[in-house]
Amino acid sequence: MDANSSGGAEGGSAPFHRRRAGPASTSGCGACPGRAAGSSWDAGECGTRAVAAPIPGGPRGAGRPGRWSRSRARGPAGRGRWSGPGAAAPAPSLFVPPRDDEEEERPQPQSGSSAEQEDRPSPKELEELELLNRALEKALKVRKSVLKTPLETRGATGQKWAGEAHAPKKAEEQQVPVSVEDVPECRKVRAGSKKPMLLKKPSPYQLRAPYRTDPDVKKLQRKVPARCVSQGPRTAGKISSKGVTSKEGKSHRTATGASAREVCAAAELQETPGLPESAPNEQQSFSGGDSAAGKNSTVAGKQLLDAGKKSCGFLGESSKKEDTASAWGRSTSPGTGTLQEKGCQLKLPLSYRKAYSRNSRAWERCRLCQTSADAAAARTRFVERIQTTFEFCSPKLTPSPAEIEEELRGLQDVPSHLRQYVEAEPADHSTLQGEYESLLTLEGLQTTVSQCLQKLQLLREALESQLRLCPDCTGDVGSCSPACVPARGQTCDSADMLAVPLLCYSSLQELRDLFALKLQVSMLHQEIALQKVMMAELLPVLEPRPLLEGSAGLFRAIHSQLCEGGRLFPVLVRDELLD
Amino acid sequence: MTSGLCADVSQPRLVSICQDAIAWERGAHGPSLQQETIAFPLASPTLGARPRQPAEQIMPPRARPAPDTLRRARFDRPQASLDFWKLLYVLLKQIHGGRWTESDAIGAQVGFVKWALWYHGYGRPQLQRLPADGSAGSRELLLAFSWLLHSPGLLEQLLARNRVQTGDETSVCTCEDDLPESQEGTSEAGPEDRVDVRYLQWLNGRLRLQWCSLHAQHQEQCKLLHKIHLFTSGSHMDQNLGHFSVTETDLIRQPENYKQLLQLLESETTQLEAFLEWKQLEPVYWQWMETVLDDMAEEGNMCESQDAHVEKRRLPEVTSCCPWADKLAGQMDRLSRDLLALQQQLHQLIAQRKATWWEKVATREELQKDSFSATARKIQGSVGLKLRDLTSLCAPQKNRMHGLCRLVLRSKHPASTTGCGQRVSREAVAAASAAEVIRELQVREASLQRELQQLRQQCRHRLAGIAEGWEGVICISP
Repeated sequence: MDANSSGGAEGGSAPFHRRRAGPASTSGCGACPGRAAGSSWDAGECGTRAVAAPIPGGPRGAGRPGRWSRSRARGPAGRGRWSGPGAAAPAPSLFVPPRDDEEEERPQPQSGSSAEQEDRPSPKELEELELLNRALEKALKVRKSVLKTPLETRGATGQKWAGEAHAPKKAEEQQVPVSVEDVPECRKVRAGSKKPMLLKKPSPYQLRAPYRTDPDVKKLQRKVPARCVSQGPRTAGKISSKGVTSKEGKSHRTATGASAREVCAAAELQETPGLPESAPNEQQSFSGGDSAAGKNSTVAGKQLLDAGKKSCGFLGESSKKEDTASAWGRSTSPGTGTLQEKGCQLKLPLSYRKAYSRNSRAWERCRLCQTSADAAAARTRFVERIQTTFEFCSPKLTPSPAEIEEELRGLQDVPSHLRQYVEAEPADHSTLQGEYESLLTLEGLQTTVSQCLQKLQLLREALESQLRLCPDCTGDVGSCSPACVPARGQTCDSADMLAVPLLCYSSLQELRDLFALKLQVSMLHQEIALQKVMMAELLPVLEPRPLLEGSAGLFRAIHSQLCEGGRLFPVLVRDELLD
Repeated sequence: MTSGLCADVSQPRLVSICQDAIAWERGAHGPSLQQETIAFPLASPTLGARPRQPAEQIMPPRARPAPDTLRRARFDRPQASLDFWKLLYVLLKQIHGGRWTESDAIGAQVGFVKWALWYHGYGRPQLQRLPADGSAGSRELLLAFSWLLHSPGLLEQLLARNRVQTGDETSVCTCEDDLPESQEGTSEAGPEDRVDVRYLQWLNGRLRLQWCSLHAQHQEQCKLLHKIHLFTSGSHMDQNLGHFSVTETDLIRQPENYKQLLQLLESETTQLEAFLEWKQLEPVYWQWMETVLDDMAEEGNMCESQDAHVEKRRLPEVTSCCPWADKLAGQMDRLSRDLLALQQQLHQLIAQRKATWWEKVATREELQKDSFSATARKIQGSVGLKLRDLTSLCAPQKNRMHGLCRLVLRSKHPASTTGCGQRVSREAVAAASAAEVIRELQVREASLQRELQQLRQQCRHRLAGIAEGWEGVICISP
């Protein structure tokens, strides 16, 4: 047997070295993505390690904040380590595990949109989570004993990492060395915000205040988790999830300006209501950004003092305003209360209401506006006259490229649909009627398939004849890729286009499914594109050569990348019998 | 249309620019038509001075069309052609959602306009033969522009596309992903020549991670969105919406941050009013265009000797003209492969079923003979019904939606969830239901998943072949 047969471990740990050695911007936890690629157990290990680290309230952690209890583990990771601006990935290691379970689980929520339980984890779910975590822990133990070497090679980073995991326990003091500049400010802010802390629910105030100025947001959030970890993981999780929202908002902001601000602002507005009762997954899922926020902290550190002051000021202000401060309990927080209770009575500013209704009336008028008869007639005459000079004299017979594309888009999922039907046909029928029905259905499907093939053929021909007239686009590749241009036939009336486009959803679950699916689809697009590129690049590398020493590793790596999406590795066995 | 456009343009700015482009374009034919001494009332400020004001701020003087561009174009003056190319470039680029700047090379602008016109089915050969330096052809461009106004509904598309967003918009079409893909293709050259495969693995893991965190953030966003929608339900003055969006909720908190939004809304209203005005005046425009055609016919320019260009343009075989066509051809290939495979599978299945069917019938012949014809008819009916969905599925979907939609929470009353229940009469809103979109996405996902699996399967075959060639080593796939 060759040494290669050691399974995914080798593949998993190898990238780790590469990472450390390389100039990559992130350090420490960043190693984990590579490991995740190796095998899912690696990922699990990553998560459980974090959990297993001596955090007070450990056992609870196994069940509550989700499978991998990222929220806590993330705290240390975020603390000043991610100072590199290039570190785009938020605390990779901590995110790996969910990726895995997500893959297995995502299809389920999608298929059954009726599953409403996501909102509140059922006891059964929690139990499962706990079981899962325990299993992972066990796996970790087993793994440790079997694979001493890879773990050892992890060396310094591993230790550092572990050290960080301890950090929360020691809370603030530990934090000090991590980023020096933070310390004084941190203290000060603490002093400033003592009062709300005593109220157990400092978060809403602090978070609401600063989001006007970005740096403040970052600072505060960064600081808060540190403090709260010592208090109890629960609060920490909550607050850090806030950090994420704002971080998310931030990144959006750079990209899309105002719309980003909405996300951020909104998130803060109502985040608090949800958090106490929200499912553990959510808290955990969101926690990743915190470290990213932490990344900014060193930069923003200097302004922390300012922020602290501001937030204090705001605290006073807001508590005056809302007048509910004294009533804060664990389960309700004022921010939530505000939106939840007053949400229905909120009124938009008058100027906006005016502008909005004028605007929507104008849209409505435009939508209903009919082209006058003589205009339509003159227009039709013009269009017909000009179309007689086209190369295809009857454009109706030869669809335009845009129409071809749209029709093709309509066809692209037909095989999937049909396959569903085919698979739904039971193979065995007890009754003659059933048999007959099934036979008829299959024949119907066959007809549909041939119709589609015919149509495809027509489209192909149309495309070919259109391509003969296509102006050669001179090298500029990007210029001629239309992004989702709706092809509107000549019959299309403007009313369609000018109507308010609405997408109605009826429940949170539906919304979640929608977003998850959209992401899934775009991920698949990306994955397919990558797969194609990799096939073109990697297969030739292997083709010509006989198996040399060392190329076994290459083969395994490539095999895993190309055939298993990097999740599993093949085993190469030396056939000793031949010798 | 300043240089900032090419890089990351913030959304509102882009929107305002686009709107100004519309204003520009609209401002363009008002005055020029007036100069044609066609009765073209300019009573409203919208068609005249007002929309042009922002345009003037944003557009460099060179790009602003002179008021009499259209008049010049009518007489095919070369002075107008450059302006016209630019105008069409700007408008078409907006529709196609690509990046552009005012300073793009004129050759590229001309190329793109030609391509886009071809794409939309404008098949006038004279246009395609215009010189690439943009120095001629203003009349051809006028014709093309007019055709665009009608056939793809240029103005409507621009308005719809640049709609000011006050809600929580999300895209509903599945074609959004073409863009990143194509970008990827162009930037494939890595920094290093030789890459450690472990680096690749690491990158792959990182990518997964990003997806994962993106997913987490999406989910969180959903939760927050839903909360806002839920808590503010009934507050919105627009009964069709019922609740605030994130923007609006924040607007209540910080009205001072949304001055720009208000301005955008106002200016959009102005645009819309201008559009209405245009609708009033449309007959004048089209009649005027007919006179343009008449002029051309008199000059004998309308159709030129077809033979000449036919010979010139019908080259033996166009292999591929652009990445777009390649992509489309690739999609067609994949689709026909899929369909053929399915056809074969069905063929076998049916043959098999038929065999068993005849067997069964033979054994129970006497039993079934009489009564079965009646049941058979019934079965045929039900199967016909079942398959009706299927045929509609293969028929072109007329109302396939594209672009962004505002997310709206509607409680589960049966009529309103469908989105086209009782409300339609009043609002006539193109309300898609999330359930519908989800279904569509699920199917999309399934077919993409299959495509990916096929690619992987292909790789497995290849690699198995390679491994077989080795001596003394056995490869065991996971």
